[in-house]
Amino acid sequence: MSATPASQRIWDLPTRLFHWLLVVALLASFVSGEVGGAWIDWHLRSGLLVVALIGFRLAWGIVGSATARFAQFLRGPAAIRAHWRGQWRGVGHSPIGGIAVVVLMLAVIAQLLTGLYTNDDISFDAPLSVLVDKNTSDALRLWHGRLFYLLAVLTALHVVAIVYYLRVKRDDLITPMLTGRKRLDPERSAALPQPLTTPRYVAALLLSLLAAVVITWIASGGLLNPAPASAPMIESTTPKPAW
Amino acid sequence: MKRTLAIASLVVLTASTAALAQSGPKPEQLIKWRQSVFQVLAWNGQRIKANVEGTTFNREDVVKAANSTAAIANSGIGALFAPGTETGKGWHDTAAKAELFAADSKVGTLAANFSQEATELARIAASGDQASVKAQFGKLNQTCKACHDEYKAKD
Repeated sequence: MSATPASQRIWDLPTRLFHWLLVVALLASFVSGEVGGAWIDWHLRSGLLVVALIGFRLAWGIVGSATARFAQFLRGPAAIRAHWRGQWRGVGHSPIGGIAVVVLMLAVIAQLLTGLYTNDDISFDAPLSVLVDKNTSDALRLWHGRLFYLLAVLTALHVVAIVYYLRVKRDDLITPMLTGRKRLDPERSAALPQPLTTPRYVAALLLSLLAAVVITWIASGGLLNPAPASAPMIESTTPKPAW
Repeated sequence: MKRTLAIASLVVLTASTAALAQSGPKPEQLIKWRQSVFQVLAWNGQRIKANVEGTTFNREDVVKAANSTAAIANSGIGALFAPGTETGKGWHDTAAKAELFAADSKVGTLAANFSQEATELARIAASGDQASVKAQFGKLNQTCKACHDEYKAKD
């Protein structure tokens, strides 16, 4: 324990990029959504960026680097209890931090789902809104608004926890999320998983990017073309009356 | 005595009928009309949107929709939010918030903004290109949102 801590890479670049791009995309979504009206097109774009980021992260959490994997940081009750007692000696997301990751992601996903099926009550219908009736789409707008507050509270808790670690536990979690590197004592260094080999890393990256593209394409209504049977366009089936 | 009573009854009957006739449409009717107005606005908005976002720009269609929108915006919609229509059901329960009818309500200003941008859209639609119509349509939508945020119930 007395050995000098060595700087080690704990977060890979894709994980860090995901995190900070998500911050930017969520802020852009907040602003464009609040302004609304003419900005609703930008709200859709920033929302689809969030879809792409989440799609990427879900895939990266399966095939990506070890510390980014769900299987690595989603732990059972025993590990969570041990963490609570201060006995966790791992690297990456702690057992309780891992729960926070999933809760935050689920809240974002819920926000994405409600957003993709709703409308702005003026002239904007989200890409998947044709799949539900108007009343449902309207009700989802209400939930989209409520979920924003949940997301805001969870984000605030996230920031408070980071500040608590920084100030009270003297553990800086921000710098590693920027640089990817953290000074680890030998015990934790030993717990650090091996990085992926270059070919596996590249393959995982391509696979995750593909997942992001596919899920974003679906979210923007890619599967709905041509016009779905549930919402046929009047123009396409009957000629317009001259008057 | 009988004659006095008969005349008095007649006077009361006439007066009350006149009062009834002066009271105008029932609240339910006013709420129905205003809800219908917004549906027609939605129809016209959809026509403009289809033209500014699509690859084809049908000016004739845009002009019809923009003129119709401007005409409705300048038709005195405020009359449909007369006292007595704060709550109630038209085609469905009114979504207007109580604050809309309050003394310090800004609905008049918001409605004037809406009229102004709708009039401007009709002007631009007649001669402007697709991009300028789209920009003005955005401004118009902004005035819709401003009022919805303040005075339209979310549930």
